[in-house]
Amino acid sequence: MWLLLIAFNALFIGAGVYLVQNSYYELGAILFIASFLIDLFIINPRAYPYRYTIPALIFLLLLVVYPICFTIKTAFTNYGTGHIFTRQEAVERLLYDPNYTYAESEEAIGFKVFSVFEDSKPTDDFILLFDINGELYLGDVPSPSKQRGKEILLREGKTYKVTSEEVSVDGKVFKLSPFPESLENINMIVSADKEYKSLYALDDPALQKNAYHFIMLVQKYLANAEYLNQDQGKIIGIRVDTDGKWKFFFVERLYRLAYREIEEDGKVSQKMVIVNTRTNEPLIEDKGSFYDIDENGNQVFLIGYTAWVGLENFLRIFTDKRISGPFMNIFVWTIMWSLFSVLLSFLIGLVFALALNNERLRGRNVYRTLLIIPWAVPYFISVLTWKNGILNETYGILNKIILPFLGLDPVKWFNDQYWAKLACIIVNTWLTFPYMMTISLGALQSIPDELYEVAAIDGAGKWQNFRHITFPLLLTVVAPLLISSFAFTFNNFTLIYLLNSGGPPMVGATTPAGHTDILISYVYKLAFEGRGQEFGFASAISVIIFVLVGGISLLNFKISGAFEEIRNE
Amino acid sequence: MKSFKFLPLILVFILVFSSISAAQTPEITIWCSEKQVDILQKLGEEFKAEYGVSVNVQYVEFGSIKPNFLTAAPQGKGADIIVGAHDWVGELVINGLLEPVPPFEGQETFYSTALDAFSYGGNLYGLPYSMEAIALIYNKEYVEEPPKNMEELINIAKRIDATYKGEVRGFITSAAEFYYAAPFILGSGGYVFKETPEGLDVTDIGLASPGAIKGAELWKRLVDEGILTTGDNYEIMDSLFKEGKAAMIINGPWAVKAYKDAGIDYGVALIPDLEEGLPAKPFVGVQGFMINAKSPNKVLARDFLVNFIATKDTMHKIYLADPRLPSREDVLSLVEDDPDIVGFTQSAANGTPMPNVMEMAAVWGAMNDALNLIINGKASPEDALINAVETIKAQIGK
Repeated sequence: MWLLLIAFNALFIGAGVYLVQNSYYELGAILFIASFLIDLFIINPRAYPYRYTIPALIFLLLLVVYPICFTIKTAFTNYGTGHIFTRQEAVERLLYDPNYTYAESEEAIGFKVFSVFEDSKPTDDFILLFDINGELYLGDVPSPSKQRGKEILLREGKTYKVTSEEVSVDGKVFKLSPFPESLENINMIVSADKEYKSLYALDDPALQKNAYHFIMLVQKYLANAEYLNQDQGKIIGIRVDTDGKWKFFFVERLYRLAYREIEEDGKVSQKMVIVNTRTNEPLIEDKGSFYDIDENGNQVFLIGYTAWVGLENFLRIFTDKRISGPFMNIFVWTIMWSLFSVLLSFLIGLVFALALNNERLRGRNVYRTLLIIPWAVPYFISVLTWKNGILNETYGILNKIILPFLGLDPVKWFNDQYWAKLACIIVNTWLTFPYMMTISLGALQSIPDELYEVAAIDGAGKWQNFRHITFPLLLTVVAPLLISSFAFTFNNFTLIYLLNSGGPPMVGATTPAGHTDILISYVYKLAFEGRGQEFGFASAISVIIFVLVGGISLLNFKISGAFEEIRNE
Repeated sequence: MKSFKFLPLILVFILVFSSISAAQTPEITIWCSEKQVDILQKLGEEFKAEYGVSVNVQYVEFGSIKPNFLTAAPQGKGADIIVGAHDWVGELVINGLLEPVPPFEGQETFYSTALDAFSYGGNLYGLPYSMEAIALIYNKEYVEEPPKNMEELINIAKRIDATYKGEVRGFITSAAEFYYAAPFILGSGGYVFKETPEGLDVTDIGLASPGAIKGAELWKRLVDEGILTTGDNYEIMDSLFKEGKAAMIINGPWAVKAYKDAGIDYGVALIPDLEEGLPAKPFVGVQGFMINAKSPNKVLARDFLVNFIATKDTMHKIYLADPRLPSREDVLSLVEDDPDIVGFTQSAANGTPMPNVMEMAAVWGAMNDALNLIINGKASPEDALINAVETIKAQIGK
C-alpha cells in the first residue's frame, strides 16, 4: 500500500518536474496539486472518505480543470499563427539564427579540413585551415557559446594566424607539413599526440569521398558557428553558395542588441533594443511581433511571439463589427436550434419509449435494437448520408423520388435558409432520439407499478396516468439530462459544419456568416479561416460561450427544479 | 522508522529522471503521404549507407501533416522534413517553422512555376516534386472531340442532356467551389492578389474586377441554361463520371486513376477557352518537400533533399509511384507518352500558382459563398463578388 503510494507520488512528481522543465507550468502544477491532495486523503484519517474520489479527482483535474485554466489563460494572449514562440525564443532567433546574417562579399574564403582518423575512418576531432587573401589561419573546433536547454544556438571558434611552421593554440603546438606551402599542398597537421590528415577541400577530387563526413561536421559543429578573425575584426561563417556548395564567407549579423534612448510617455530612457545593423534602426516591436523597415519604408514582419494582450480579445468580441453585425441572428438561431433539437428528439424518443415500455408489444427487443441504430452508426457517416444521399437537391431521395411521388416541388434543403434550418434540426433529431429513448426507457422502468395500481383504483384513464404520474416522475430523472443535451447541442459544431458548413450564406453579409451557423461554427470561421489560426481570440469566445451556456443551464435548472427532488430524498 | 518509507521514493525518482534524459542519436524523420513512403525509405537506406544517419519515413495522412506539424514543430519535435502542398508555405513561414532551401545544383531544371509557388518573401521554402491543375476530362463514348471553347461545350452538353433525357449529364463539375470556377474567373481577367516584384499584395484583390465578373457571369449562364445545377458537388461529379453517367467534367489528375479502374474510356484536354484567344486559367497546386526550421538536423535534411530527392532519377520514381505532373522539365520528357500527363501539363501551362499566402484561407470561404449566391440567383454576379471581396478584406484585416 505504502509502496504503491510512493511509486504513484514519484510518477506524478517526476512527470510534474519534467513538464515544468519543458515549460508546461500549468500541467505540472496540476500534477503537483493532484499528488498533494492524494497524499492528504490517504495519510490524513479525517479525509478518509475522500480517498474513494481519487480516480475521479485525477480525471477531473486533468480533463476538466486544466483545459479550463488553459483556455482562460490563452484568452488573454495573442497565441495563434505567427505568435507561437516565447519572446525569448523569438529574440534568440533574430540574434543567433544563421538565416539572419548576410555575407559581406560574394567571395568565398579558401579552406581545408583536417581530421584525426581512427582505423582509416575520420572522426569529429578536426581542424580548419583558412586561406584569407594569401594568409593562412588555423581554426579550432568551435565551442558552444549560447544555449537554450540542450539546443545549441551559437558556437564560437577562434582563428590563429600561421606565421611559421608551428602554430600555438592555447599552449598546444600544431605543426603544419609540408611548410611553407599553399593550402592545397599542406596535407598533415601534427600536434603533440595526434595526427590530423586532410579530410576535405572543395576542389580536391581525391578528398570528395569524405564529403559526407564534412556535411556531418557542418551539421554538428559548423552550421551555427562563428569564427572571429582578430586581424580583420570580422566574423567567418559557413553558408551555402549560389552553386549549392558549403563555403566560408565573411558574414555580418543582421540584428544585434544595443542600448537606445527610447521616448515613452514623454520620458526618455535607456532601453535594450534590437537594431538592424545595416540601417542602424531599431526594430519595431508591437503586440507580440517584430517588424523591420525595408528600403521602401514598409514594415516587414520578421517573427512573432505569444504576448499578453489583456482584454483585447474580449473587447474585440464586443467592438468588432464583423461579430456584432450578425451576432443577434446567429444567437437567436443557436437558441432555437438547441431548443427544437432537444424538444423534438425528446418527444420522439419518449413516444418510442412509451411504446416499447408496453409489455403487450411483441418483439420489443427487435424494435429497440433497430431504434438504437441511428445512435450506433458513426456520426459523420450518418451526416454524410443525409447530406448526399437524402437531402441533396438534385440527387437526394427526397427531392428525386419522394417529393415528386407526393406531387410536391423539390425543396432547396441547403440553399433556402428556412429549409436549411429545418434540415439541420431533422438530421440532429434523427441522431439524438435514440439517446432520448434510452434514457426515457430507463426512467420509465424506475416508476413503481404501485402508483399505477393506485391510479387504477381511483379510476384514472391512460392520459391522466401519463399526465399526473408518468410525466412528472420521468421529468425529475430526465430533466438534468435534457439540460446537458441542450448545452451539448448549443455547441454541436460537428453536425452544423459537416452538414452544410453553416450555409446558405447570408445575402449581403460582409462576414463569413451563414444562416445555419451557430455561435461556435461562426467563431470557428472567424478564428481559423481568416489569417491563419487565432487561438487567443477563439479562447476568449469559448470563455464567453461557456458563461452563456452555463448561465442558460443554471436558469433551466432553477426553473425546472431539476435538483429539488433529489435533494428532498 | 517512518523515514525509511521515503527511501524507495527517492529511488523511483532517480529512475524516472534517468529515463527522461536518455541520449538522442541523430535521425531524419520525414512525414509523407502513402505513395512516397516506399521510395523515400529506399533513398533513406542509401543515405544511411553513406552518412550513417538513419532516415525514418512515417506515413501521415495528407490532411493531418500540416496540423500535426503546426502542433509538434514549435516544441522542437515533429518531422525534419514534411511533404506537402505549396499553399502551406505562407502560414508555416509566418510561424517561423520553415527553413529556407538554399540554392542547389540542378535548380534550373525545375519549372519556374513550381519554384515560384514555393517562394515566399524572396526565399525558396521547398523542393517541388509535382504540379497539378484541373483540366477537362471527357468520356469518349459521348464526346469524340473535346470542345475548343465554351460555346462548343455548351452546345455539346445541351445535345447530350437532350439525347439522354437526364440519364447522362453533358457537363458537370463542383458548382459552388471557387477552385473549379477559378479557371473562368481568372481566365477572363480576374486575379486573387496582385502580383508585385516583392510578392503578392494582399491589399489588392481582383475578384470583383470586370474580368472576374465576366467569368462569374459565364458560370451563371451554365446554370441558367440548365447545364450545371445548384446541387452539383465534387462527390456527385466524381461518382457520375465513374458510372459513365457524365460526359464532361472538370477535375484534377488525382481522380483519373479511379476512372481508369472503373473502365471509363476518357480523355484529358484543355479546359475550353472562354472565347477565341482567351484561355481558361486554372490554379496550379505544387507539392514539395519542406524543412523544419526547428529541426536539429537541418543541414542533413537539406543534403538529403538536394542530393537524393532532387535528382532526375528520384523524381521519375516519385512520378511512377504517384503519376502527377513532374516539376522537373527533364522528367516530363521521360513521361510524355502518357496522354493524361500531356493534357494536364497543357492545362497547368495556362494556369497560375495558387497564392501561398495564408490570407488565401479567407478567399476560399468567401468565394464559395459568393458562387453559391450567384448560382442560386440570390445575388447578381457583380453584387456577390463585391460582397465577397468585402468579406475577404474584413477577414484578413484583423
